[in-house]
Amino acid sequence: MKKFQLGEFEEIVMLTVAILYDDAYGVSIKKEIENRLNRSVSVGALQSALKRLEDKDYLESLDKDATQERAGRPKRYYKITALGKEAMQYTKETRNSLWEAIPSVSLDVKFATL
Amino acid sequence: MHNPPKLFLKFFRWYCHPRLAKPIEGDLMELYDERVKELGKKKADWKFIKDTLLLFRRDIIKPAGGGQRLNNYGMFKSMIKMAWRNAIRQKQFTVLNLLGLTIGISTCFMIGLYIHDEMTFDAFHEKGDRIYRVNQPFIWGDWDRMMASTGPNLATALREDAPAFEEVTRILSLGSLTATAANNGNRSNAFKEDRIYAAEENFFDVFSFKLKAGDTKSAFDDPQNIMITEKTMRRYFGEDARPEETIGKNIEIKQYDNSWKAFSINGILENVPTRSHIQYDMLVSLKSESEMMQAHGWKWIWTAFSTYGLVKEGTNVAALERDIQAIPPKWAPPTTERIFNQTFEEFTDGNPWKLDLQPLSEVYIAGSPRGHSFGPTGNPLFIKIFGAIGLLVLVLSAINFMNLSTARATNRSKEVGVRKVLGSERSTIVKQFILESVLFVLTSTALALMVVQLTLGTFNHLAEKQIEILPFFQNPTFYLIVFAFILTLGFIAGSYPALYLSSFKPIESLKGKIKTGFKGRSIRNGLVVFQFTISIALIITTFFVQKQLTYASNVDIGFAKENILQLHNVEELGFETEALKNRLAANPKFTVVGKSFGVPPFVYSSDRYKAAGPETPVVQLNNLRIDEDYLEVLGLEFLSGRNFDSNRENDKYRVILNREAVKNLGWNVENAVGKSVALASGGEEEHEVIGVAEDFNFNSVKQEIAPLILIHHYNDIVWDYGAGLSFYSMRLNQEAITSTDDLNQLLISLEEEMKQIDPTVPFEYSFMDQEFEATFRSERKMATILNVFTIMAMIIACLGLFGLAAFSAEQRTKELGIRKVLGASVSELAVTFSKEFTRLVLIAILLACPIAWYFVSQWLQDFAYSTPMEVWVFIAATIAAMLIAIVTISFQSLRSANRNPVETLKDE
Repeated sequence: MKKFQLGEFEEIVMLTVAILYDDAYGVSIKKEIENRLNRSVSVGALQSALKRLEDKDYLESLDKDATQERAGRPKRYYKITALGKEAMQYTKETRNSLWEAIPSVSLDVKFATL
Repeated sequence: MHNPPKLFLKFFRWYCHPRLAKPIEGDLMELYDERVKELGKKKADWKFIKDTLLLFRRDIIKPAGGGQRLNNYGMFKSMIKMAWRNAIRQKQFTVLNLLGLTIGISTCFMIGLYIHDEMTFDAFHEKGDRIYRVNQPFIWGDWDRMMASTGPNLATALREDAPAFEEVTRILSLGSLTATAANNGNRSNAFKEDRIYAAEENFFDVFSFKLKAGDTKSAFDDPQNIMITEKTMRRYFGEDARPEETIGKNIEIKQYDNSWKAFSINGILENVPTRSHIQYDMLVSLKSESEMMQAHGWKWIWTAFSTYGLVKEGTNVAALERDIQAIPPKWAPPTTERIFNQTFEEFTDGNPWKLDLQPLSEVYIAGSPRGHSFGPTGNPLFIKIFGAIGLLVLVLSAINFMNLSTARATNRSKEVGVRKVLGSERSTIVKQFILESVLFVLTSTALALMVVQLTLGTFNHLAEKQIEILPFFQNPTFYLIVFAFILTLGFIAGSYPALYLSSFKPIESLKGKIKTGFKGRSIRNGLVVFQFTISIALIITTFFVQKQLTYASNVDIGFAKENILQLHNVEELGFETEALKNRLAANPKFTVVGKSFGVPPFVYSSDRYKAAGPETPVVQLNNLRIDEDYLEVLGLEFLSGRNFDSNRENDKYRVILNREAVKNLGWNVENAVGKSVALASGGEEEHEVIGVAEDFNFNSVKQEIAPLILIHHYNDIVWDYGAGLSFYSMRLNQEAITSTDDLNQLLISLEEEMKQIDPTVPFEYSFMDQEFEATFRSERKMATILNVFTIMAMIIACLGLFGLAAFSAEQRTKELGIRKVLGASVSELAVTFSKEFTRLVLIAILLACPIAWYFVSQWLQDFAYSTPMEVWVFIAATIAAMLIAIVTISFQSLRSANRNPVETLKDE
């Protein structure tokens, strides 16, 4: 049952968009992820994720703020939709239920290293 | 500010989905800008390149093709919408534009159909592209002129010496014969057949005429074979005759000695297609002429045949034509020696006896050689004239469109300005205007096709054609041509307005700076002048054409041609017809009765004569056999000498000359009487001249009066004695005939009289003045069509002027309002307003007059008698054009002048 599909990277992008709230556009999202998670993100990977999320209606966008350093091109700001929020919620809950289902011994490091 | 590597930026723009392109490009630029500051340009460039390459992935790339097409469609949709809105908003201009274009295109289509019809004559023959007619010079005099008939021996020679011909076939014109479907000796069902020819066995191997019944293989095997068309069959055997049953029945044809010869019907032909230059009702086997063929078959001067050759496939026709030039010098000498006692060189007098191969497709339309005996011939001059007019009218209507479109410039300038401000490129605006014009042309073409279909009947009636347009709709090429026509005309008509309108600078046009269309104005005026020049030139030309036709039919032809009734087929009553003559002469409704062996304007017979005596030059004289009363019927004047006298026995060997003949023989009017002429072809007999008659036209007035020798009808030493058609001509007694009823009664009694003598002789008559009139038929036809097209051109020019006047009225509303407030009267305002246009028309008149003068004088050169080029015609045409122009603009000028200034000045 795949009610909401959200890949790992996609989830990170969604979360970052949510964190940035009012200021979530290409470059800011990229930098936020790079700063917080300490991994490098290519523009291509990010943009294709953003497009997929938008196609799934998890994100919506608005073009504004065409500035000089952007050669007159607008910024595309992303916002999470109600559906997107539901999807994030769902993912989080599935994770939680999975975490809760883990017996405490299985995460005993000593046991594991045996 | 630094720039990223251009190539990769372009690459990115090229592949990126248009919906994503701008924000992503923005991101890339922002990152690049940052990196340049942090890492330097080089590293930033590398990172940029990496980013663009990594962006090249499924979600980012635009879908193949789809996006592009979608975009253009939207653009066209918007353009069409704009065109429609503009058309609806300015109804007056739209209607004027459509009307002008529709008239122009209909005229052009109509002429196109006419020309197509003329150019595709004889196209139905399956081997048509390999059929050639052999023409030769007019060996009877003017060697520079070509003629379409040859002697019988040419075919024999070609069969022998020119193997490149697959078939060579001859057709012999038999003249005019009386035929009947004999029914137990009852020959009352007789008809005069003018379209009867003798054909050879291989006739159907060359030509693709179709049969209803019978077969083409054995068509002319037997000398007694005859084939008739379906129409002819119905004429002789009744409406419900069946082709299969008619085969084997007999047709009897009256011979020159008035005996009847039976032919057996061997096949029923389909009616001849209208567009065939060979038009027949009956075809007999050439073998039926075997006696004549044996006696004269070797001859080169029995020029009553037409020779057609079917060349083998892949023949080099130019080489063949070169090769056959050797034939006349090789084959003709026996003829010239035996008949004229002249060597070949003496006979040709140094002129080449050349043989021309004329392709079948050109036989009808080439106009040379003039005429042949089998059917209609076209006139290439008319094709040229009509083609030129069709093109001119089309150009006029295209100009109209340009004019009206650019005149609307002020109305559209704001639209163009807004479009440009919103980022539209000039090319897009150009495209839009061209699309608009193509749409106009498309609509007009559709309308024009309807107009053509509706008016084709009238046109066919005027032009004496049977053109249909509906069959073209099944022809894919037709659609292609119409499509290409629409695009081409739309593009041409739209190009100037598009370039002009799209050139506006947005700031100026939005400020409303473009007022009266600055530079466009002089071009527009130029176009109006052009239109009117052509229209006025056409008016003057048609004026002169009418004048010439009236002039030519009223020209003094040397005698009173009115009230002369001519009775035909007299030769069939036998040579001795004095009894009939006496009865005609006794009729009080006739004043004089005379017999002749030809009637003006159809005296074509001619022969070679010379003044009696040694070493006199040979001259070509037309000859006409007459009795002693004929010249009295014509009422001809004698310049010297006297008429034939029935009381002088020896008069039958004497002759009368006309003034021209006397001149040609090297004499003058005073000394000619008493001298003698002789036939140049051998005979020793001399004929004494007893009188010289004033010149008169015995042929169409289109020709100069030729030399004529009048021979007594009983003169039995001249070789053609007893042959040919003869006529009785009667001058009507106008006091005895006061109404058409009288005339009809007279004709009925005349017919009864003929039938009493011999019921098998068809009763035919004509009036001489009508026959003269009929020689101008094709010119009249042309004049009528020319009139119609001139009116079309004038209407289009007026539409253009009307449109411009309306536009100008709108522009000058305020000016006229202020003038009125300051005290100008309505009439003064109207004059002020009209002045601008009157000036244009005046310029057009100045240009049109010399152009028209040139063409009219060229055309008049074709006529022996031409109307003088009087100045008043130019003045009349000028005034007419001026009046039409003034009436056209007066509507606008009066409306503008009458407007209340309060209304025109209140805003602003």
